[in-house]
Amino acid sequence: MRNTLRKIILPSILLVLAYGFWVSPDFKEISAGVAIFLFGMLALEEGFKAFTGGVLEKILKKTTNRLWKSVSFGIVSTTIMQSSSLVSVITISFLGAGLIGLAQGIGIIFGANLGTTTGAWLVAGFGLKVKISAYAMPMLVFGVIMIFQKSRHLKGLGYILAGLGFLFLGIHHMKEGFETFKSAIDLAEYAVAGYPGLFLFTLIGIFATVVMQSSHATLVLIITALAAQQISYENALALAIGANVGTTITAILGALSSNEVGKRLAGAHLIFNVTTGLIAIAFIHQLLVAVDVISAYVGIGETDYTLKLAVFHTLFNLIGIAVMIPFTNHLVRFLERLIKSEPDRYAQPKYLNESALEFGDAGLEALRMETNRVYAKATDIIAKGLSLEKEEILSDTKLKKVIQVHTKAVAYDIDDVYEHEIKSLCSAILDYTNKLSSAEPGIARKISRIRVANQSILSALKDVKHLQKNMLQYIGSDNPHISGEYNRLRQRIAKVIRRLENIRLKGSDSTSILSLDALKLTLEKNMALLHERMNELIRDGNISPDMAISLMNDSNYTYSIIHNLIQINRNYLKSEEGVETEAEHMIALNNDEIDSVLADNNDNAEQQ
Amino acid sequence: MKFDKALKKKLLKKLKSYLNAEAEQLQHEDEGLSKVLKKLKKKEGHLKELIAAEKDAEEREILEQELNIVHSQRKKGIGLLSEIRKKNDAE
Repeated sequence: MRNTLRKIILPSILLVLAYGFWVSPDFKEISAGVAIFLFGMLALEEGFKAFTGGVLEKILKKTTNRLWKSVSFGIVSTTIMQSSSLVSVITISFLGAGLIGLAQGIGIIFGANLGTTTGAWLVAGFGLKVKISAYAMPMLVFGVIMIFQKSRHLKGLGYILAGLGFLFLGIHHMKEGFETFKSAIDLAEYAVAGYPGLFLFTLIGIFATVVMQSSHATLVLIITALAAQQISYENALALAIGANVGTTITAILGALSSNEVGKRLAGAHLIFNVTTGLIAIAFIHQLLVAVDVISAYVGIGETDYTLKLAVFHTLFNLIGIAVMIPFTNHLVRFLERLIKSEPDRYAQPKYLNESALEFGDAGLEALRMETNRVYAKATDIIAKGLSLEKEEILSDTKLKKVIQVHTKAVAYDIDDVYEHEIKSLCSAILDYTNKLSSAEPGIARKISRIRVANQSILSALKDVKHLQKNMLQYIGSDNPHISGEYNRLRQRIAKVIRRLENIRLKGSDSTSILSLDALKLTLEKNMALLHERMNELIRDGNISPDMAISLMNDSNYTYSIIHNLIQINRNYLKSEEGVETEAEHMIALNNDEIDSVLADNNDNAEQQ
Repeated sequence: MKFDKALKKKLLKKLKSYLNAEAEQLQHEDEGLSKVLKKLKKKEGHLKELIAAEKDAEEREILEQELNIVHSQRKKGIGLLSEIRKKNDAE
């Protein structure tokens, strides 16, 4: 629906504009002024982005712990950057990262609304009184030269200068356009008085802002039109109210693709601006009196409507803040109820909290717990990948029986589960290990083991994915030899998962790390047996060459899965604290020693 | 004067622990190995009991493999412990 609307709206706007340009060269100049102004805003945003990622974030972190500080931050940052949308974007990113709460975010948005009114002051007080195009030209030249520099900050400064240059140039063209336009058509003749005019021009203000995606641009357009007396003062006020409401549409459109945090913030923005707009409409007469009083007090001439518009714009936003601030907490609760967090499509870490990072031991424990969780998920995936159930693998039922019950292949999308259940957790763990890496050497070694354990989890899952392909085809095969071999591979992996679980359950009371050596021995022995049996099957013609190749590859995958499962547990157990852990590490047999035990075993078997 | 004495004492203590660092490490390893060896001995006995009671040939084979591993581990551990004790005696 949205796409269809877009497809219709854009060509329509282009057609209307093209017709307008053909009919009136003045309209063309005004539109070009708006376009140049918007381009200037884009350049300005680009420039300020070069300075984010440091200073701005640091200030934001320090200045948003109280609501009044958040509001002040919103005012100051928007005044400096002249772009409330950039401030909103940064606020959403901080909200998303959990660095600030929704209440603080709302505070910034309130402040940004007031900060953006300084634009009206600048244009009305400076832009119209001085020939600003004279400033625009050198700014553009210096700006563009700086844009070509390699330094990020110089480039940023260049964009800011060029942005300001374009803003000034845009204002100049709008001003010129309206002045010459006046001689052709007097738009002021279409002024509508009273409440109908108020509502009509508010709607026009909303529409203009939605089209231009910038309340700033609308406001400049209003001020230049007002200066050229193309619109009446009352209608200009209504347009300003409309621009304020319309700007939230931009935020809502932006938040549609954002997460619930962004949506809540856009919701707060909408509620604030609509409430402020309604207050302004309801109390328009009182506001006009207040504007006159304030203007007279600060020395603004009675007929200086552009500056009076700036006063009005600031005043009604200020009233909005004063009215809404006491309800901030209610607003937060309301929005949290209204826009609920969607259940995570991706698994989220449960134990990796930022506060634990400050203490090496606590951080390590958090890592161990999270790794344990990933391991539990991974073994579940492995079981399902083998068309088995983990509960049954871990039960007391003989595994042969478990396998016999599950001879039917069950399709299971490992890639999909990996993407949603494992990948995000493993990357969060790796990220956490990086943050913890500055800890003392002993802890750093343990952290590195946890990292290796997680890498082994990923490798094991990758191997199961490969193994699954042929396994699904052969476990129910009519050829009893090939199905028997594949079921044996399943049984071996299941057996290792069960034995590992028993070792883990015994915990630190037993010699857990050393128990893994026995598993390694079994792995090596079974591998040798499988090769012998496979040669026999091929020799006797019980399996086809294709089957033999598949079995050969898959036995390697099985070996790798078991090896990785053992490695996961070895590294996980070694990351535990204790004198005995070190001693077990010393006693644990290396590959040569295991081979020699295996050779002794074989000798004994032969003698018997 | 009092401060000097305290400082001297502190420095001497640091020097002593520095010189004894290796001995302390050996002591640490000795303790750990002794504990693990005791556990392994117990495990060996337990495995022997399990093997005697196991009727399933396949399960028994696994237990026997484990027993062989524990045996080798104990052998390795005893060797390491005696080396550590020799080093300890030499110091």
